[in-house]
Amino acid sequence: MNNAIEVENLTKYYDKFLAVDHINFTVKQGEIFGFLGPNGAGKTTTQRMLTTLLTPSEGTIRIFGRDLRSESWAVKRQIGLVPEESNVYPELTAWDNLMFTASIYRVPHGERAKHAQELLETFGLWEKRAVKTENFSKGMRRRLSIAMAIIHKPSLLFLDEPTPGLDAQSIHSIWELIRRMNAEGTTIFLSTHQIEEANQLCGRVAIISHGKIAAIDTPERLKANFRRAQSVEVAFEGEVAEKSPGLESLPGVTTQSKVGDKMRLYTEDPSALLPRLIQYAESQSLRIVSLNMLGPSLEDVFLEITGGQMGVVGNESQEGKPARRGMGGSK
Amino acid sequence: MNQWLERIKNEWAQAWTVAVKDVRVYYLRPGMIMFGFLMPFFMFFSFSVKRELGAAEGVARLLALTVFFTAGATGPFIIPTERRMGTYDRLLAAPMSLLTLLLGKTAVGAFFAIAVSSVALLAGLLFFQTTIIQPGLLAAGILLGAFSFSTLGLVFGSIPTTNPGDVQMPSTLLRWGLLFISGVFIPLSEMSPVARTIAYFSPLTYAQDVMNHAVLGRGLINPWLDLAVLLLSGVLFLWPSIKMHQRARVLGR
Repeated sequence: MNNAIEVENLTKYYDKFLAVDHINFTVKQGEIFGFLGPNGAGKTTTQRMLTTLLTPSEGTIRIFGRDLRSESWAVKRQIGLVPEESNVYPELTAWDNLMFTASIYRVPHGERAKHAQELLETFGLWEKRAVKTENFSKGMRRRLSIAMAIIHKPSLLFLDEPTPGLDAQSIHSIWELIRRMNAEGTTIFLSTHQIEEANQLCGRVAIISHGKIAAIDTPERLKANFRRAQSVEVAFEGEVAEKSPGLESLPGVTTQSKVGDKMRLYTEDPSALLPRLIQYAESQSLRIVSLNMLGPSLEDVFLEITGGQMGVVGNESQEGKPARRGMGGSK
Repeated sequence: MNQWLERIKNEWAQAWTVAVKDVRVYYLRPGMIMFGFLMPFFMFFSFSVKRELGAAEGVARLLALTVFFTAGATGPFIIPTERRMGTYDRLLAAPMSLLTLLLGKTAVGAFFAIAVSSVALLAGLLFFQTTIIQPGLLAAGILLGAFSFSTLGLVFGSIPTTNPGDVQMPSTLLRWGLLFISGVFIPLSEMSPVARTIAYFSPLTYAQDVMNHAVLGRGLINPWLDLAVLLLSGVLFLWPSIKMHQRARVLGR
């Protein structure tokens, strides 16, 4: 499979501040690639470089095999960009916003109205097509912003934090749209700090921290490598204290936390912990209401990596280079 | 060859699309009305009322003022506003050259200046029965003046900021300065040799002179030279705008 994006040694300095530090990765055509990282990690800077909005200090970017620096015009025709802020013109109607973008992207005249109608219907905005977008809700503006980014049917779509601040219904309709576009062949580069979003949508994720790629892999393989983040969740009848010294001192428990009315005990070996936990409940005359073994979530992986703790990170790490193990930090 | 012609056709259409969109979105914004429409008339009445000024001289002055102030008002307002709203990124990421985008933005200021100066001209013709000696030269002067001063405004608009106020104030200050050294309020012929030498460095001098030729039938500089300087200065002002946009891409602003 050909690569949609190839990034080599991509680096960005803001004056002397190193925002993106010699990163390497590839995105295959047809995949949904998640770019995860905490605020200030270098996500938006990387995405702005990939979309020609920012000039890299060093490194090369190839989009569908074309060098971004020398063939930016040809590349721009193939990409769509949904920035973090919904950048629609509030003074224009939804229809006029779409027509403007179609014209800027030189969508053939005969196809503009057809594409616009399809998109407005898909996004549930057809009835509002003649309404100025200043009267739109945040979710409606977001959907229109995405529609504007894809009216020219790009082969590669960049989405920067597409769902924060939206209601659950809007989030799911945007996720559904991303999946549908991907099924139709569009490669998606999804920059987000919403772990669940990446978990739900992405075939692979890269985790960026302090300007460096800390891990690249499928969500499931990343989780599998974090044995330490496995846990047993137990609920006892009656109130449970915030910290229970008895539970924390059980052999194999690395840490514990209270999650609602349950206690979560982190361990590398949940099956060994279970009998000890039952024994503990009996000795304390506690009745167990529920007991679950949990694998690590992508959020656990993300927090381990970006929190700078030890761990085994990914099988690919910086692509083409050996996997990074026992990082001791996220730099 | 066909590919290049197609590209030029596309870029032309994109510049036009940008201009038409900006006309629809920004012309009625208070900032544009204040700095683009009211300011030249305010300046004219401030410095012309109760002074012994013939109707024709007044019309020539008003035309130069409206072209100058109105054309230069759009760039410093529209570009920072678009940067703040995030809509400018959409334009920068679109498949068109930076020059195309800037020419589209230039056209917005130029159209605005042509429209407002037409109002001024109409007022002169209706209320002061002014006769235009050289209508063709007047049209060329308004057109090229609008182009030159719009690209001058673009220089300020290209300063990477998201707050129009940051660039509107210095832009207005520069334009006020040029107003007093460019033979608008003091005719070139009455200036000292030093002041006149300075005036020759201001494009407004040539705009005022070409209006004088067109409306009064007299001027101090060859009208062809006036038009050539307006055209050339317009082209030259695009250069710092391009450089500042490229710099903004490096700085990430």
